[in-house]
Amino acid sequence: MAAKDSPLKQFEIVPYSNTELGSYDISFTNSSLSMVITVAVITLFLTLTVNPRSIIPSRMQLISELMYNFIAQLLSDTVGDNGKKYFPFVFSLFMFVLIGNMVGMVPYQFTFTSHIIVTFALAAVVFIGVTILGFVNHGIKFFTFFYIPGVPFYMHPLLIPIEVISYLSRPISLSVRLFANMLAGHTLLKVFAGFVVAMPFFTGALPLAFIVALTGLEILIAFLQAYVFAILTCLYINDAYHLH
Amino acid sequence: MPQLNPEFFVSQLFWLVVTFSFLFVFLWRVSLPRISNVLEKRERKINEDLSAAKELQVEASKIQETIENQLKQARADASEMIKSSSISLQDKAQVELHKLDKELEAKIDESAKAIEDSKNELVSQIQEQVHEITKLTISKVATFNVTDDEIKKAVSKTEGSIN
Repeated sequence: MAAKDSPLKQFEIVPYSNTELGSYDISFTNSSLSMVITVAVITLFLTLTVNPRSIIPSRMQLISELMYNFIAQLLSDTVGDNGKKYFPFVFSLFMFVLIGNMVGMVPYQFTFTSHIIVTFALAAVVFIGVTILGFVNHGIKFFTFFYIPGVPFYMHPLLIPIEVISYLSRPISLSVRLFANMLAGHTLLKVFAGFVVAMPFFTGALPLAFIVALTGLEILIAFLQAYVFAILTCLYINDAYHLH
Repeated sequence: MPQLNPEFFVSQLFWLVVTFSFLFVFLWRVSLPRISNVLEKRERKINEDLSAAKELQVEASKIQETIENQLKQARADASEMIKSSSISLQDKAQVELHKLDKELEAKIDESAKAIEDSKNELVSQIQEQVHEITKLTISKVATFNVTDDEIKKAVSKTEGSIN
């Protein structure tokens, strides 16, 4: 298969400008455009649909309120009252990932959540923030997080390294989960799209039907991964409050 | 795989920081307070309406209670009235009946007396006529004279059979 037909071609970054800050290349690319569109969609939708004077919401306002209540409920279920402070951050994270995924579902639109550097940066923010939060709340006692009570003492030399590794791998699992899901889904769509063209006569309808079904599945995954990202963030925040 | 090409890592990170920071600050400062305002306002309105409804309900139950009390009172009054009026009516009827009885008795007595009188008169008339007839018969048939007193005596002997 030629390079221009590769199913991975959709993930290539195309710079629209050639901007440099110091010695760094900060060109505006299709990825940046996608992020800007995502942020514009979120801010415009959440601001324009909500009329602060209306007690009875319109349908569009109801969507915004449902999203708000969805994340507020998630945060209060997992973290409790402590979680209210982090609501704007978790909500922004959820909306950014969700709408980023959804924008990626628009044909010819770039999916920035399919880039490991982006998802890893988001996960790293969560990881570093939660670790700082843990130290702020518990000080040096935060290290007891790796000590599991109620286990025979001779198990600790084994368990403590496992706990440390699992803690350190949180940002990796968090970012790779989202990145891999997006990568796999979009690649699969393009592979089947290639079949539609390649197959003779009308047999191409079969992979086309498959693409339609896969698109539905991808939209589900887009939501699910945003949800997973948000709920794991909530759980990590909860861990920073209640060590065990 | 384009994802592993570090050429655009810095650019992506830069734009991620820019867009996400903007999104975070905007949602934190503008959008979310708007939504939470609406939600709080609605919550408050619902609570106010609920408490108003509760107050109205209490008022309504009070009104109902007074209505029931008044109904009970009215019913009691009505039965009392019926009782007293029926008693007075019975009394009146008794009195009327008594009066009527007396009147009727007096009338019966009067009539009985009148009948007795007329009967007596009739008897005396009959006696007189019998006397006359007897006198006439004797004067025509007998050769002897009979005095009035003798005839009277004989006639008065039959008096019992006339009665």
